Amino acid sequence: MALSFYPGCSLEGMANDYARSITAVFEDLGIDLVEIDDWSCCGSTAAHSLDETMSVALPARNLAAAGEMGLDIVSPCAMCFNRLRYAQLMLKRRSFDIPWQVDTDFAVHDMTRFLAAPDMLAQIRKRVVRPLANLKTVCYYGCQMVRPPSITGYTDFENPQTLDAIMDAVGAQVKDWSYKSTCCGASIGIGRREIRDTLTNRILDKAAHTGAEAIVVSCPLCQANLDTVPRRPGAGRLPVFYFTELMRLAFRPAAEAGWFRAHLTNPLPLLNTKGLVAA
Amino acid sequence: MADTQPSGPNPAVADQFAGRRLIERGHSRFLEHTQNATGIDIGACYQCERCTNACPVARYMDIKPHQVIRYTQLGWREALMHSTTIWVCLSCEMCTTYCPNAVDVAGLINHLRNTAARLPIRPAEKELAQFHQIFLEELRRFGRVNELWLMATFNRRPAILKKKLKDGSLKEDLSLGFNLWRRGRLKLLPHRSRGIGEIRKLYRHRRGESD
Amino acid sequence: MKNTAHPHISGKALVVGGGIGGIQCALDLADTGFYVYLLEKSASVGGTMARLDKTFPTNDCSTCMISPKLVQVARHRNIEILTLSRLAALSGKPGNFRAQIEKQPRYVDHEKCIACGACAQKCPQKVPDPFNGGLSMRKAAYLTFPQAVPLKYAIDAQNCLYLTRGKCGLCRKICPTRAIAYDQQPETLELTVGAVVLCTGFELALTRQNGEYGYDRYRNVVSSLQYERMLSATGPYGGHVRRPSDGRTPRRVAWIQCVLSRDPSRNRPFCSAVCCMHAAKQAVLTRQHDPDSQATIYFMDVRAHGKGFDDYIERARAHYGVHYKRSMISQVYLEPDSEDLIIETFDHHLNRKVEETYDLVVLSSGFKPSEAFGDLAKRLEIDTNPYGFALTDFQHPVHTSRPGVFVCGATETPKDIPETVIQAGAAAAEAAALVHPARHRDVTSETTPPERALDAEPRIGVFVCHCGSNIAGVVDIEKTVAYAKTLPHVAYADHFLFSCSNDTLQKMEALIRDKRLNRIVVAACSPRTHEPLFQSVLQKAGVNPYLFELASIRDQCSWVHSDDPAKATAKSMDLIRASTARAARLEALSDHTYSVTKTGLVIGAGIAGMTAALALADQGFAVHLVEKEGSLGGFANNLTGTLEGNSPAALVHALAERIKTHRNVYLHLGSQLVAHRGHMGAFEGAIRTTSGEEAIQYGAVVVATGGSAYTPTEYLYGRDERVVTQVELSRRLQTDPGWARGLRQVVMIQCVGSRNEAFPFCSRVCCSAAVKNALLLKELDPGINLVVLYRDVRTFAFKELYYLKARRRGVLFFRYIPQAPPEVHRENGTLVVDFTDRSSHQDFGIQPDLLVLSAGIRPNAGTAQIADLLKLPTTEEGFFLEAHVKLRPVEMATAGIFIAGLAHSPRFIEETLTMARAPPSRPPRSCAAGR
Ligand SMILES: Cc1cc2nc3c(=O)[nH]c(=O)nc-3n(C[C@H](O)[C@H](O)[C@H](O)COP(=O)(O)OP(=O)(O)OC[C@H]3O[C@@H](n4cnc5c(N)ncnc54)[C@H](O)[C@@H]3O)c2cc1C
Ligand code: SF4
Ligand code: SF4
Ligand code: SF4
Ligand code: SF4
Repeated sequence: MALSFYPGCSLEGMANDYARSITAVFEDLGIDLVEIDDWSCCGSTAAHSLDETMSVALPARNLAAAGEMGLDIVSPCAMCFNRLRYAQLMLKRRSFDIPWQVDTDFAVHDMTRFLAAPDMLAQIRKRVVRPLANLKTVCYYGCQMVRPPSITGYTDFENPQTLDAIMDAVGAQVKDWSYKSTCCGASIGIGRREIRDTLTNRILDKAAHTGAEAIVVSCPLCQANLDTVPRRPGAGRLPVFYFTELMRLAFRPAAEAGWFRAHLTNPLPLLNTKGLVAA
Repeated sequence: MADTQPSGPNPAVADQFAGRRLIERGHSRFLEHTQNATGIDIGACYQCERCTNACPVARYMDIKPHQVIRYTQLGWREALMHSTTIWVCLSCEMCTTYCPNAVDVAGLINHLRNTAARLPIRPAEKELAQFHQIFLEELRRFGRVNELWLMATFNRRPAILKKKLKDGSLKEDLSLGFNLWRRGRLKLLPHRSRGIGEIRKLYRHRRGESD
Repeated sequence: MKNTAHPHISGKALVVGGGIGGIQCALDLADTGFYVYLLEKSASVGGTMARLDKTFPTNDCSTCMISPKLVQVARHRNIEILTLSRLAALSGKPGNFRAQIEKQPRYVDHEKCIACGACAQKCPQKVPDPFNGGLSMRKAAYLTFPQAVPLKYAIDAQNCLYLTRGKCGLCRKICPTRAIAYDQQPETLELTVGAVVLCTGFELALTRQNGEYGYDRYRNVVSSLQYERMLSATGPYGGHVRRPSDGRTPRRVAWIQCVLSRDPSRNRPFCSAVCCMHAAKQAVLTRQHDPDSQATIYFMDVRAHGKGFDDYIERARAHYGVHYKRSMISQVYLEPDSEDLIIETFDHHLNRKVEETYDLVVLSSGFKPSEAFGDLAKRLEIDTNPYGFALTDFQHPVHTSRPGVFVCGATETPKDIPETVIQAGAAAAEAAALVHPARHRDVTSETTPPERALDAEPRIGVFVCHCGSNIAGVVDIEKTVAYAKTLPHVAYADHFLFSCSNDTLQKMEALIRDKRLNRIVVAACSPRTHEPLFQSVLQKAGVNPYLFELASIRDQCSWVHSDDPAKATAKSMDLIRASTARAARLEALSDHTYSVTKTGLVIGAGIAGMTAALALADQGFAVHLVEKEGSLGGFANNLTGTLEGNSPAALVHALAERIKTHRNVYLHLGSQLVAHRGHMGAFEGAIRTTSGEEAIQYGAVVVATGGSAYTPTEYLYGRDERVVTQVELSRRLQTDPGWARGLRQVVMIQCVGSRNEAFPFCSRVCCSAAVKNALLLKELDPGINLVVLYRDVRTFAFKELYYLKARRRGVLFFRYIPQAPPEVHRENGTLVVDFTDRSSHQDFGIQPDLLVLSAGIRPNAGTAQIADLLKLPTTEEGFFLEAHVKLRPVEMATAGIFIAGLAHSPRFIEETLTMARAPPSRPPRSCAAGR
């Protein structure tokens, strides 16, 4: 099976740990990820905020390229996923004055939803060598992956299940909590840091209060934000994993997982106490 | 009883519009224009405040989401253009998702932000507006956006540099940056897309410049 | 004497659905000479009402009200209850249908089961009890609820171990009467009926799948119906409100309104009409159960549009301290340790979010038609609206699109119990009108056993009723019974959970015989609703029905002294002592029979009066129709069109034509009733006309004296010609559309002369009138500025769709509060309306070309004279006070006198039509019986 892959800018920089774990996991699952040739930025919040047309045109370039490949797109970043889907939907609705010919007949998946399909979950379960038993997690989906439902297709936007199901498949303990898709404020972090800090700290507090030992995410922005936000003095930190990092850990316990070192909140002590990595 | 509590006025806005307001004929022109441009059914709102209750950043807004709808219905465009609301809004889509009348509040706010960005207005949240501009500028330069360069360009703006020096956030930025670099999470050189020509052409086109 | 005329018309009717609507309809038909099949898809009748705790606005206990009705249908010789059945097909013609019924097996032999409950006791298979909303468990062999009718166990085939896996079979071994019948098969019955009435009711729209506000995700988020069960004495927690998660008593309870109602984004744009009131009721009960509790209701508009409802809300607020918060919630969050729930709202004072923590959250879910109704409507080829409710016609509000098939209750629109009961009466009357030539043909008459000879000495039996927890929750029952046994002449004393349930009544009957009791005292609720029921038991047991006393220990002891159990118990014992003393001295009486006048009198020839008169006349009775004006039509003559676009004028015309030509109607225009005396079946009176007085005789009276419009004294009305009422505007719009096109700006003010101290009622119709006129004005000129100043928009049920339409057309709705109403004044000849917008916090000063006042409804001037003459009670506002708000909404306490239309309360035309058709299904019971 092959998919066209739109990594997005973050995966080249801040989220290169995510990128590496994705490659590893998809290799294990025997699925080809074919990177869209010479992809460009989706425009993110900025294009959307300042110029609606650009927010369709910029993703359109990538949609056009993917269309030529004749494969469904999978996107690991919630923001990119949202922008690609939005552009695809708008292009279906009306015509835009843009230089790219886009055939909108293929699907744009977010990576978690793709992997949470029943047959994929079965594949995942089959590959688990060491279940992540005892690891208490909460899954955090953020905004862009699930909202608005009219674009993302998540009808269970308040209580999404994709990450929960994947984590369950690799044997982790998944706790239900109410803040799965509560906004962390990442997009405002640059201009109004205090707003971001308030929103993100609240989510971290709620996660800790729920009894989680780690937070599982699928979005580079969420990860960066939850992992790096300054905490109130005295408030603890929780490791923030990309879900693919944990999948790989369950698939190949012995393999070198250098990407854990990229985290600011070092997850190794936790994984160590759970017997999931060697001391 | 809820009825008896006068809801606190909103000083920022009340000042701008002291005294009795009129509803003039033609107030609906702005409403109609906005409805046509966005396809959003703004009239449908019944002011239930579900959007404002859902919004994570309502407290930082001078015009709350449900009031944005009211203002639009009344044609109070100026106030909206000068509001902090349009810049503070995170596009988190909580409001839209929960509105019982399917009013796309987030879409409306985004449309207002788009409009304000095209006007020679000093944005109420300058840094937020600038950040978006710089992001798009970086995108124009390379076709992709490199986080390190983005931040560097942003922090180099004199006004921002000054503020960040003053409140100590520059130091925080630098120490975080160092930490990230040590962990291999910063890509030092931006990647330049081969298609950069097409992308710049698109920009010129959008700005109405000739090729 | 058998009725043999019109042999092609069947004297039988089929009522589908056994909720309060179906039950009332079946009783009305059966009591007026028709044989009724009452079809119910579940194992027992009672529907939703059987699951409710208390009911607004009287806080009467729901079980207490429905129990006597259940007993009546169970014991009625002309009603045949078919449970676990569905109507599979209907062929033939109105008057002569063939109905094909599919009956699922009960797996318990109806004849043999004695309801001992041994099967359920031994059954090992536990399943969540749907009757209690899954909050408790029942067995696979079950009885729906303790007072179920029919009182027969059933086996639920989906869960029974024997029926699913061939194992177990315990119940068959244990059943003392060998009633268990695993081999029962589905049956198909073919019935001939003249008319069909659909009363299939409603369900909550909230389901486990849609995840609204954490329903089915968080244990302490429950539906409104689950909460009713939690409050109920027969519910999962025995009447003590507990949290599902940990059994603690919830102290902080929140209600969220309009869940899956008024929600176009979920394709549920209509209002469910009842939930504002039942939430208020539940909040009041919560505060009563536990004075330390806090009750908070999150809402948009309080829709208290019924008779006395605003008063109820005001009491909930002021007397019971229920908090009302006008704010809609987006999401409910869970506090993980305690399983408390967090509601976030934005506080405009503090300019920040506040988190409020609750122990329990109740979701006031919207209504949808019963799941099974969708298929049924398709099979019967009945038109439904886009949301699945049965469509009816403006002029015929209980007729479906298929002739001979009628509808009532929540199947038609979401509605409360009184409206359901009214509509049930109307549906019964319409069905009866269709098949009346076959009246009495298929029924057998009731026979009572002869009275037995009594011992000379009084042998008094005392039965003390728990009334669920209504009495037992306060009064010490054991002590009371023990005391009763010590009283002179008391031969026997006992107590029951619900004395009025069918099985208890059977026990009572047996006890009277076995213990040779000759005088009975029941210490229970109130004689008002229950006396006839207990008297019928005496009769069946061969004792004269007048040898009966009811000690009202609920109404007079447990309810009034709920905070002082000792005092309540002492007073109960006093009342019982007094009753036994009186009982000892009672003498047997006999009812004399008299011949009844088969003529009705209808007072008032508005829409209600004309409709009532025709309904009676169509059933073959003569009717005197007395109208004080010189013309027919009453207030409807002032109305131009309804919100839905129907024509009152056409309706008046159609009714008037029939009135004038109907051979059974005696029309007296320009006349007044000036004398009245006698009793049901034999009234005598006099009408005064211009030509003098005329004496008349009649068996029953329908009072339809109607209402009139309030003449405002507020807002410059009468002093400035630019200020008009909605009614005046409608007329002007009709006669002079050109004038309307010239208007640039129009302001409407709601609740003028309603909902204030002088007149506390909501006038019910004026919100819709404003929306209607606003839409008309927008149609004439889409650019017009239209501002509506309101307190609550009360466009309930499907009228909400028009409110939505008006908003979409650009009508601006601003809310005002009664403490700061709009101000109207003239500035240099210009009309100015000042008000504050609660949303933008801006003060407005608008200069409209026209100011329209939504003036309320008042009872007609003649009401007081009629009330006096007929000795009828009225409310403070001057509307007639019916016999029982819930169950006898069209009857006055005086037998043989009925009420319809605006004389009862403000109502819409369709509602008036329905109401006016209801009494005729009741007078015939007295008139038509023949003696
Ligand atoms: C939480 C709550 C609280 C309420 N509180 C109050 C209150 O305090 N006061 C008040 O006035 N009203 C109250 N109501 C409203 C009240 O319950 C309704 O007005 C009333 O029960 C409607 O009666 P019905 O006969 O139309 O429908 P139902 O009671 O629903 O009865 C319908 C019956 O038909 C059966 N049926 C359905 N489909 C079929 C079919 N195809 N074939 C055969 N049988 C079928 C059903 O099993 C059921 O027995 C409340 C409602 C709710 C949800
Ligand atoms: S949630 Fe929708 S209807 Fe409610 S106030 Fe906001 S926009 Fe209006
Ligand atoms: S999209 Fe904007 S206005 Fe809407 S909830 Fe999010 S931050 Fe608030
Ligand atoms: S407004 Fe209508 S739908 Fe909403 S709670 Fe009240 S009655 Fe129910
Ligand atoms: S305007 Fe009329 S219907 Fe509306 S709330 Fe006021 S009194 Fe009731």
